[in-house]
Amino acid sequence: MATQKVEKTKVDRIRSLAKAPMDDYYVSGHRTCAGCGPAINYRMVAKAAGKDTIFVGPTGCMYVANTSYLCVPWAVPWIHAQITNAGGIGSGISAAYEARIRKGKYKGKFPNVIVMAGDGGSSDIGLQALSGAMYRNHDLLFISYDNEAYANTGIQVSPTTPYGARTTFTPPGPVVPEGKKLWPKDLAKLIVGGHPSVAYVATASIGYPIDLMNKVRKALNVEGAAFMHIHAPCPKGWGFPADKAIEIARLAVQTGMWTMWEYENDEYKINIQPKKLKPVSQYLEAQDRFSHLTAEHKAKIQNFVNHKLAMLGIKVPVEAVTA
Amino acid sequence: MKSYEVKIAKEKLLPEAGIVKAPSPNGEQESMITGCWRVLRPVIDHEKCTMCRSCWIFCPDQAIEVKGEEMAVKLKYCKGCGICANVCPVGAIERVPELDFEGGVVRLEKLF
Amino acid sequence: MGTKKFLTGLGATATAVKMADVDVITSFPIRPYTGVMMILSQMVANGELDAEFIHADGEHAQLSISHGASAAGARTFTGSSGVGVTYAFETYSPISGGRCPVQMLIADRTLDPPGDFGSEHTDALGCRDQGWIMGWAETPQEVFDNTLIYYRVGEDPRVRLPQFNCHDGYFVSHIPGDVEIPEQSQVDEFLPPYRPVDPLDPQNPLGHGPQIFPDQGPALEAMRHNAMMAAMPVIEEAIDDFGRIFGRKYAPFVEEFMTDDAELVFFINGAHAHTARYAIKHLRERGIKVGLVKIRFIRPWPTDVLQESLSRFKAVGVVETNSSFGIARGGGILAPEVCGSLYDVPQRPLIASFMGGLGGEPITLKEFDFIAEKLKKIAESGKIEKPVYWLGFEE
Repeated sequence: MATQKVEKTKVDRIRSLAKAPMDDYYVSGHRTCAGCGPAINYRMVAKAAGKDTIFVGPTGCMYVANTSYLCVPWAVPWIHAQITNAGGIGSGISAAYEARIRKGKYKGKFPNVIVMAGDGGSSDIGLQALSGAMYRNHDLLFISYDNEAYANTGIQVSPTTPYGARTTFTPPGPVVPEGKKLWPKDLAKLIVGGHPSVAYVATASIGYPIDLMNKVRKALNVEGAAFMHIHAPCPKGWGFPADKAIEIARLAVQTGMWTMWEYENDEYKINIQPKKLKPVSQYLEAQDRFSHLTAEHKAKIQNFVNHKLAMLGIKVPVEAVTA
Repeated sequence: MKSYEVKIAKEKLLPEAGIVKAPSPNGEQESMITGCWRVLRPVIDHEKCTMCRSCWIFCPDQAIEVKGEEMAVKLKYCKGCGICANVCPVGAIERVPELDFEGGVVRLEKLF
Repeated sequence: MGTKKFLTGLGATATAVKMADVDVITSFPIRPYTGVMMILSQMVANGELDAEFIHADGEHAQLSISHGASAAGARTFTGSSGVGVTYAFETYSPISGGRCPVQMLIADRTLDPPGDFGSEHTDALGCRDQGWIMGWAETPQEVFDNTLIYYRVGEDPRVRLPQFNCHDGYFVSHIPGDVEIPEQSQVDEFLPPYRPVDPLDPQNPLGHGPQIFPDQGPALEAMRHNAMMAAMPVIEEAIDDFGRIFGRKYAPFVEEFMTDDAELVFFINGAHAHTARYAIKHLRERGIKVGLVKIRFIRPWPTDVLQESLSRFKAVGVVETNSSFGIARGGGILAPEVCGSLYDVPQRPLIASFMGGLGGEPITLKEFDFIAEKLKKIAESGKIEKPVYWLGFEE
């Protein structure tokens, strides 16, 4: 919205784990489940963003589990938003700093404004607020941390829950053998497809921290709105042991269930693409939420993944299923 | 004008608007100590450890620290999820039952 | 010393917002309030006002953006009407609970269904329990003045509450009147720049709105209540200062008109007070001792002032330009609050309510005659036969 741009700071690329910032701004002392994927994501994002950051945290796991009770685990400013309106609150903070700095009412740097919304708070009930923030091109980064369900309320289906997943609102049964019957929304594509002002959109995964942190920094360096969709496996919701979040995250990428790309200058750039894909059944069978699926369902998912990859221009063979 | 104000005892007063101070960077949120959740304790074999920092970056609880020339576990907050042991490329982290330790976690010390 | 302009309520609001040097404005179109945003967007385009003018994606977003901006230290302005006001309902309590002094103009409009442009207060009054300061203006001049007064009260560190700055759609929003525009220096003296208490600022990291234990709820609610109570002396102070600086003296909470010897009074908020004054003059010519009690603030509700004021009369007719289907006594929202205020007073008047101006109908002189007649009968008989009359339906 700025008529006259206020000066923004730039951050550097991270070359390796050894060069990753030592400082943590998402600190010990929160009630997220043991082995929580979204908590790993929060930590990496906060690390990459650094101290001049303001987080907006709409209702969701990362609100409820992190701030109980009357305390916060962030060493930077943070504000709760409703599950509906994180994009709005973020827009307001960004606009306030534009105006206050321009009018000489605030002496300091323009902060990184980062909205950290769950998949429900970004692809479903919070979609309008997200789209509004992107359309208006406020200087902020909107992150959708995707654990593929409304997890804090007890794992209910969301638009990004994969086809065939069992949730407490999509229980499989004789009449509905596959559990969830719908194909997931592709939120990152939705942002790319209809928001021409947005200069940077990326997907990332907690399985690939250097890639994730550099994408956060790139997104923060962009003038105006940026969006990231980050895959964050949920041990409780998906039904895998607490020590497996990173394996599951990597398996999602290795099977093509999650794709890693950046969109800038009107182009998609695929990152971290294995030469050969593992069959999706390997990913599905590692999680209890898919344990009811038949071979037919799994084949449908494989087809869906193949099609999704083809649409992105990814042409890599899928390894034969070895059973 | 009559006062309709509620007298709130000092010990019951909360920060206005529920706005609270943030912890310091690399600090801890002592209102939510989670070490008492742990069933298996990560134990680092410093001989094997290559200081690659995989355990450090993947810890959801900032419970692994780089301390000088060694990696160290912050037991006060480690929930015992075991991700660190799993991501270690050289198998330098072992998960040992808490009950094997003197003073190990044997129960929930408080509700959360 | 200032100039005089012929302005609508919306024009007066926009002028006051500009003079208040607002930082962030969030807009979305809905009649009748829309005009204020058309004027403000032109001011921004002309460079007369340096503010972020944001095209929100709906009223819910208007309020959400205002919330974020206010929490980040900006003086913010927004507004709406009718179903726009109710669409944003979710956001009101988080804003007052976060103690963000957002100001929202409500130019009243009847709620659907069916679609109706006319003024009715149910849109705003439906939000009366959300921790916002709330009151009505009767004329464009009062609109201008309230806009400045509300910012001053809401931003006071003893208060820190958002404000619903209400006026009737069309009757006030669109009908022009004389407005004295003060010098900028007078406004600056009355309304200092907004100094946020706990803004979102990386230089002083704070957490806004973490979850609480149930046993932490009572204290936070009591503190929000106390903030609303603290607004009362702050309003009195602000009105005093306003009179000193601008030369216009308001009664802080309750304005009376021809009540010195009155036995009967009309109790009104908002624009219909204007008609009531004329009606009273006519009724007085016929020897009926009637006066007007106009309430300027609905929140905080001035219980004590009303006890003192209303206990002097024999009968009070509460004019209700709102509906609450199934409420106590079967009328509108205000009468139960008036009755509640007077319950503890030994010498209390008889109270009836009159449903009028619904759907944006004017309340005519004839209808005020009807109210006065019923009040007279009530006063003479000493009892209430019917607590509610629907104007235009009853003999």
